[in-house]
Amino acid sequence: MKDINLIRQPIGLRLSSYFFLIFWCIVAAFPIFWITVISVKLPIDAFNSNPLNVIFGPETLSKGKGLSLIDITIGLSIIIFTAKLTTGWLGRMVNKYSPNGYLGFGWIIGAMAFGLSFIIIFFGIMPSVLSLLNDISGPLGNNILGFSTEHYSTVWFEKNFIKNFQNSIMVTTGVVTISLTFGTLAGYGLARSGSNLAFWILIIALIFRALPHSVLVTGYLPFFINSAEILRPIFGESAPTLYGMPWATVAVLVAINQPFTIWMLRSFFQKIPSELDEAARVDGCSHFQAFRRVIMPVMWPGVITTGLFSFLLAYNDFLVTSMLLEAQNTTMVPAIASMFNMETTTTDQVVAVAAAVSIVVPLFFLVLFFQRQIVSGLTAGAVKG
Amino acid sequence: MIIKKIATTIAISLISSSVWAGCAFENNIELKSLSNSFDAMKAVTESMAECGNVTSVLDVDFKDKQPEAFAANPSLYQIGGVSNGTMVPLLNAGTIRPLDDLVAKYGSQLKPSQLIKVNGEIMAIAMMVNNQHLMYREDVLKEFRLEVPTTHAEMVAAAATIAKYNVVDYPIGGTYKAGWNLGEEFVNNYLGNGGEFFGEGNAPSINNATGVATLNTMKSLTEYMDPEYLVSDSTYVQQQFQQGKIAMATLWATRAGAMDNAEESQVVGKVIMASAPMGTARPASTNWWDGIVFAKNMTDEQADAAFRVAMEGIDTEMVLANNDDAVWLIDGYVAGSAAAGAIATADNGAAPYPSSSPGMGAMHTALGNGIAAFLTGEKDAATALADIEAAYTIAATEAGLM
Amino acid sequence: MNQKTFFAFIGPSVLMMVIFIALPLATVLKQSFYVTQPVYQTLEVETCTPNFTGQVCVKEIKTIPTIGDNGKVITQTSFVGLVNYQNVLELPRVIKAFANNSWQQFISIDFWKALRFTLSFTLITLPLVLFFGLVIALCINNVAKSIRGPVIFVSLLPMIITPVIGALSIRWLFIGDGILTSFLEWWLVRDISMFAQAWTIELMMMFYRVWHVAPFAAIVFYAGLQTVNQDTVESAIIDGASRWQKLRYVILPHLMPLIVFVTLIHLMDAYRVFEEVVGFSSQAHVISLQWLTYDFLTSDLMGNRSIGRASASSMLTMIGIVLLLIPVLRGVWIDYKGKRL
Repeated sequence: MKDINLIRQPIGLRLSSYFFLIFWCIVAAFPIFWITVISVKLPIDAFNSNPLNVIFGPETLSKGKGLSLIDITIGLSIIIFTAKLTTGWLGRMVNKYSPNGYLGFGWIIGAMAFGLSFIIIFFGIMPSVLSLLNDISGPLGNNILGFSTEHYSTVWFEKNFIKNFQNSIMVTTGVVTISLTFGTLAGYGLARSGSNLAFWILIIALIFRALPHSVLVTGYLPFFINSAEILRPIFGESAPTLYGMPWATVAVLVAINQPFTIWMLRSFFQKIPSELDEAARVDGCSHFQAFRRVIMPVMWPGVITTGLFSFLLAYNDFLVTSMLLEAQNTTMVPAIASMFNMETTTTDQVVAVAAAVSIVVPLFFLVLFFQRQIVSGLTAGAVKG
Repeated sequence: MIIKKIATTIAISLISSSVWAGCAFENNIELKSLSNSFDAMKAVTESMAECGNVTSVLDVDFKDKQPEAFAANPSLYQIGGVSNGTMVPLLNAGTIRPLDDLVAKYGSQLKPSQLIKVNGEIMAIAMMVNNQHLMYREDVLKEFRLEVPTTHAEMVAAAATIAKYNVVDYPIGGTYKAGWNLGEEFVNNYLGNGGEFFGEGNAPSINNATGVATLNTMKSLTEYMDPEYLVSDSTYVQQQFQQGKIAMATLWATRAGAMDNAEESQVVGKVIMASAPMGTARPASTNWWDGIVFAKNMTDEQADAAFRVAMEGIDTEMVLANNDDAVWLIDGYVAGSAAAGAIATADNGAAPYPSSSPGMGAMHTALGNGIAAFLTGEKDAATALADIEAAYTIAATEAGLM
Repeated sequence: MNQKTFFAFIGPSVLMMVIFIALPLATVLKQSFYVTQPVYQTLEVETCTPNFTGQVCVKEIKTIPTIGDNGKVITQTSFVGLVNYQNVLELPRVIKAFANNSWQQFISIDFWKALRFTLSFTLITLPLVLFFGLVIALCINNVAKSIRGPVIFVSLLPMIITPVIGALSIRWLFIGDGILTSFLEWWLVRDISMFAQAWTIELMMMFYRVWHVAPFAAIVFYAGLQTVNQDTVESAIIDGASRWQKLRYVILPHLMPLIVFVTLIHLMDAYRVFEEVVGFSSQAHVISLQWLTYDFLTSDLMGNRSIGRASASSMLTMIGIVLLLIPVLRGVWIDYKGKRL
């Protein structure tokens, strides 16, 4: 179908659209680009007041740490190629090979396998191939851009960031799965019930959504810390200290996330004609069976979009995780905050920046993977009211 | 390259269970410590970690977490790093352990001055003393033939001279970050001017001539500071010093060593430590000590292990390796040039931080939140002090102190 | 759907919300009417501490909390009615400020200062977010299909980035001689300190928030634009509607539910602004309501927390958000009832 918007657009308007978007993209990406640049420089370059020195890193270069033209070209092309694969090919593969009705799991497994192979190629194979290439290609192989990965190895190997990464994975996986399981059930129930009770639950959920989190967390903190003592009469000596347990944090995050989840999913379910499950009910299915057999196969776009928002909430959360998890056993975001808190030197600061960039990278790929789902999910749900 | 690194890391983590460099015994009990974060504390916790199975959390917000964490049963941390200020809530809540038995068993190398006693019981082991003192760029002062300032008025005068020439960005640096830091600056200056914080029954008494004079002194200093002084904490000022951006600052003694750290500093050998500027009564500084406490809610085995590990952490070997990171109380410490300012300040009669006044916590918070309004010109000195007193009164009444 | 099945479906979700949101909230409500204090005793205490030269022992009369037989501090909780609310609102000072006809005095009182900032932050960023969201969405819709993907990708970055990191990365661009401050100094040929006065800090905080939220609005609106009924647009054009009229009378009404949705989300999120205060260390100049609550909760050097005042201020914060949401909630109610009929 021809897009009439496009045809009748005067050239001036189109040009200004392009200019505005270019400007917006620079504004959107610059802060992130800049912390990435800082993170690969030695401290003296990283906080230099001349921006060109920050970008080219003469001090870093003089220490023999840099990238040659070949490194840059090949590195960039791999990244762009990966991005292309992620947005197009991966989606098709997942759609093709996922068993019917399990598209969500297909996406998770596909994304994981893909991410893993990228890490192996990019960090494992590429550096040695490149160093070989640099050696044999003469002047092209000379370093022109200061680049040092030492802060990253400090973060990941010395500061044991891998442990925080594992915690993050555990917490986010837990939150996303439980949130969606509870949320789809409740969202479906609310969408199909027209009672006043359903309305009030939605309104109260909305007010809960608006509560400042610090208020809630203070409610749990004393209980979590003293839970071993409080629960001893019930569980005996095996009573757990909930403070510092990732699962307890998962429960809190799920609860905080429920209001948004049920609102989103409810509006998706409302889009699914109720004739569909009523037909199944006529065929003798119970509500649960109707839900499982008829609704589940068609609900994935909504679930993926909602799941992404749950993921972002859990992955990015700072307040809850930093207050309820023990400092040495936290997820990545509070770990970074404490790195900034304990910095006493400029090197510490650049290391913390490298950690910050490390957190952003998975999000970067996540957007690549799911960009289309976010847009089409929102279009499908159109998130009414 | 990366693969190799991963391989080495795995290898190291495999053998690390058998490396006890610098520790006299092998610790098998899982221990955790929570403390503030500065170089000397890093040195101590790293030294403790050599015994194995010790995880240390260093966090500048430790004082918000310690009271609850130590009150839990079992306690979430076995070892805590405290100062004279931050020990009080733990002591008041009765969550730290008397140490007489452990000192008798394992603490033979401790000096008597290291034992913090409350009513005769040893409650903490001190490792270092600390205060804020003047640091200045010798080359800059020499260039303009300036004397080392001994009072804030002289400091301002010197700053006025320096400001005329473009040698540094800002003549004076200050840890004036709104909140605890700013409150601490007021406490230093007010005590330096001989002020009293409390009257009868914990009632506030800062809204007086001394208080106004103190605020005016602070304001006169800020005129020569980086205009962003209300977000400058110790690390920020230390960095500005290292980058040669400032010429004088009153900074913690624990930051002195960093000035000569060649990897970070561009002013190695140029920064000299001197006594904190004098107020009308004594130096505008407070004396602190830092030390280690042990949780009450832990088993005797844990207590034994925790104490032995801590003793390894603050042994002479650690001091020899990190001599200039602090003014250590531990055997083997040699006061170097980095400690000159701290010792001069103490010799001039700096007061200890008044942590024994029960209202001091609320007062410090009220000061930290309230002074910024005066410095930004939003309120005059008397109004600012009156509002601080009002804020203190509400908090102290709520805490049951008034 | 009968009651029983309905409860079976919503049960787990409601249970989670009751345990982790409603119960803590009820506790907070209760605490806002009570004050808990330790029972103090006055004792003579001898303390020996090191100074630079040796050890000093001091005997002092001290007020310290009493510790009970179970090893815990004995506390007493008393009902104080609205005292906590009074302490937060500081009404006498408000009246005095009004008597002096001084706005300056009025907004130097903590709660009102926080409320002033929170409201202006919320209400100024809201139109900006909607406007930029709409402009970005329309622009994306205007350009060739092939570059929409990359543009959407870049646009999403500020939305998905961890808030703490996003705020910090903007802070680094400006603090001290940060890259953008240097650039501005070079451009305007003058010394600039972005963190030295209230209005520049407020500006940065709002810039950060718009940068962070506008992409969300843009994506939602862009999704909405995909479902605009092309026949209506076409007939509007045939009727001779100008581009502006087309936007005003066809596209905006179509997007209206989405505008309400984004407004709702943004009001809720902006009203609890907190990360910005911490990330930009703005507490010397501006504070927000949630920060105020957080500050009451933070223990002072002696380990005291103002739980009572924190509870009162969080209840007041909640009342504020409910008031803000009422117009939107009314819309939801009408919509909901309409659907049922």
